[in-house]
Amino acid sequence: MTDRSESDRLQQESWIQRTVRRPEIGAFVVMLIIIVALAMASDGKSFNALGLKNNVAIIAQLGIIATGAALLMIAGEFDLSIGPMIAFAGMSIAVMLKWGLPFGLGEATPLLAFLITLVMTLAFGWLIGTIVVKSGLSSFIVTLAFWFFLRGLTEVCFRLINQNTNVSGLPDFKKESWFAEQMGGEVFSWFFDAWYWIGTKASAGLEFTSDMTKSEKIDFINYLSFLNINRKMEQWVTGFDARLLWFIIIAGAAWYVLARTQLGSWIYATGDNKESARANGVPVNRVKVGLFMFSAFCATIFATCQVFDTNSSDAAKGMFKELEAIAIAVVGGILMTGGFGTIIGVVFGAITFGLVANAVFFIPWIDGAWFRVFVGTVLLLAVFANERIRKRITGGI
Amino acid sequence: MRVENVVKKFGPFTALDGVDLDIAPGEVHALLGDNGAGKSTLIKIMSGVHQPTSGSIYVDDKKVFFRNPRDAAAAGIGTVYQDLAINQLMSVTRNFFMGRELTSTFGLLRMDEMDKIAHEEMKKIGIDFSDPSQAVGTMSGGQRQTLAIARAIYFGAKVLILDEPTSALGQKQQMEVLKTIKRVRARGDIAIVFITHNEIHSKLIADRYTFLALGKIIGAGTKNELAGGDIRRLMAGGAEMADLEQELSAI
Repeated sequence: MTDRSESDRLQQESWIQRTVRRPEIGAFVVMLIIIVALAMASDGKSFNALGLKNNVAIIAQLGIIATGAALLMIAGEFDLSIGPMIAFAGMSIAVMLKWGLPFGLGEATPLLAFLITLVMTLAFGWLIGTIVVKSGLSSFIVTLAFWFFLRGLTEVCFRLINQNTNVSGLPDFKKESWFAEQMGGEVFSWFFDAWYWIGTKASAGLEFTSDMTKSEKIDFINYLSFLNINRKMEQWVTGFDARLLWFIIIAGAAWYVLARTQLGSWIYATGDNKESARANGVPVNRVKVGLFMFSAFCATIFATCQVFDTNSSDAAKGMFKELEAIAIAVVGGILMTGGFGTIIGVVFGAITFGLVANAVFFIPWIDGAWFRVFVGTVLLLAVFANERIRKRITGGI
Repeated sequence: MRVENVVKKFGPFTALDGVDLDIAPGEVHALLGDNGAGKSTLIKIMSGVHQPTSGSIYVDDKKVFFRNPRDAAAAGIGTVYQDLAINQLMSVTRNFFMGRELTSTFGLLRMDEMDKIAHEEMKKIGIDFSDPSQAVGTMSGGQRQTLAIARAIYFGAKVLILDEPTSALGQKQQMEVLKTIKRVRARGDIAIVFITHNEIHSKLIADRYTFLALGKIIGAGTKNELAGGDIRRLMAGGAEMADLEQELSAI
C-alpha cells in the first residue's frame, strides 16, 4: 500500500486560481466590459454626475428585486409574481394615499399606507410559499397563477376605487413625511457635494463668454457636467435616489445571512437536496415560505420607492420585472437548480443589467430594444457557464 | 440495543414476522438477506421511520418507542442510508453540521470551530482533509460514506446502522469503508449494524450475523459458530449452492 490518499488528488490552488474559479468571476468580467464599452460609446456621458445618478437608480431598483429572487432560487424555487406584486403594492399605497384608509378609518400617512400594504404583500408571499410547500407543485406554475391573479386584482382595484388604471398627481409627501423622504428622496448627498466642491476648484475662473462658438459652448457644458456643475454655474446633482440605500441594506443583509449565518446554511441545504436537508433536521418548508415572503418584501420596497419618487402609480408597473430579476440572478452565477451562488455575483449582475437598460439614454443612435437582445444572449451564455461550474463541483455528474 | 419479536404488517402484507436482534457495543453485527427479505423494514423500525405492528425495542434494557426518526436519534440511533443525506454542492463542514450548526448570537456561524471539529472527527476514522471548505461533490464515494459516519458518531450515535455502505462503490473504496468501520468498532463504545449483500465484506469485518429471508430469521450466530458454507447458503435464502448449480445446468 502507498500512503497516497484520495484527498491528495485534489490539487491545492493558489489564491489567483481560486479567484479565477469563483462563481462570480463571469459576472464580474461582463460588468467590467459593459462599464468600459458604455463609457466609450457615450463619450463618458453615462458616468458624469447625472449619468451616474440615473444609472445607480436603475441598478438599485433591479438589484433590490434580484436579491429576493436570488435567495429564493438558491433555495430551489422561482417567483414569477414579483412584477405583479410591485404593481399591487404600488396600487395599494397610492390608492390609500389618495382615498384614505380602508373602511373609512381616515387619512393615510405614507408610513401607515406602506405598513398596511406590507402586511398584505407578506400575506401573499406566505400564501404562495405555503401552497408550494404543501402541494409539492412546481413554484413555476403556482407563481404563474399568482402573476395573473395579482395583475388582474391590481387593475380591478384601481378601477373600482379610482375609476382609472392609475393614480397620478399625488401631493409630494417627501416634504412633510420623513418616511416618504427615506423611500423616494435622496441619499448620500455628501458624495455630490464633495464632487461639486472639487468641480468649483477645477473650474475656477472659467465662465461662458459671448465670443464662444456654439460647439465651444457645448464642449464647455460637457466639461462642466463632469464637474457636477450646471450651465448656471450652480451645483447640478444633489444626491443619489434613496433606493440606493435600500439596495445596500437589502443586499448587505442578504450577503451576511447567506455567507455567515445558520439560516444561510439552511438556504443552501434546502436548494441543494431538500430530502437530505430535511433528514438532517433543516426546517425546509419554513425556509422556503420565509423566502417567498422576503421576495414579496423586496417587491414592496421597490414599489414604495417608485410611488414616493414619482408621486404616482399605475397598473402596468413592474412589467417584466420578475423575468429581469431571474435573469440577473442567473447572470450573477445562481444555479437554476438551486443550492449554489452568492449575493456578490447578483450585485455584479444588477450593475451590468442596469447599465445596459439605461444605455439608450446616453447613446442616442442605439435602439432601446437591443437591451433585450443583449439580455437574451448574456442569459444563455451565463446558463452554460453556470452549468460548467456545477459539473466541476459535482465531479461531472 | 435489543429488538424482540417485532412484527410489521403493511396492510395484508407481512414484511417482518417475529424478528429478534441483539446488538452490543464494540461489535459489528451483519444483517444479511436477499432483496425483499425485510432488512430495510427492520432498520427503518430501528431508526423510527416505521413503527412496529407488535413487538418491542429495548435500549440499555429500557423499553422504548420511537414515534419518528428524531426520537431514535435522541436515543442514540444513528442511521446512515444509502443516499447518505449529503449535499454535493456544499462544503464538507457545512454538510457535517447541516441542520445542527454551531452558532453564536444572531445565528452567526462559528465557522473556524466547525472546520476544526469536522476535520478532527473525520481524521479519527480515517480521512485527513486539508480543506474543509472543499465541496462534497469533489469527494469519492468512500469519503462521503466516511463523512456521513463521522457525522452520525459526532452527534451522539451509540448504535450505528449502515445501510449497504459498500454497494455502488469501487473495489478500493469498499476497502476504505470497511477500514472506517473497523476503526469505529475499535472505539469499543459503538454498536454497528452492517447491512450488506456481500458475503466477502461481511466475513471481513462482522462479529455476529443475522440472516433474514421473507421476513423471518433463518439463521444467526457469531463468526465462530458459522462456517463459510453456512453463510453462503443462508445468504441465498437457505438454498444450497449445489442445488442452484444443478438447476442452472439443467437449463
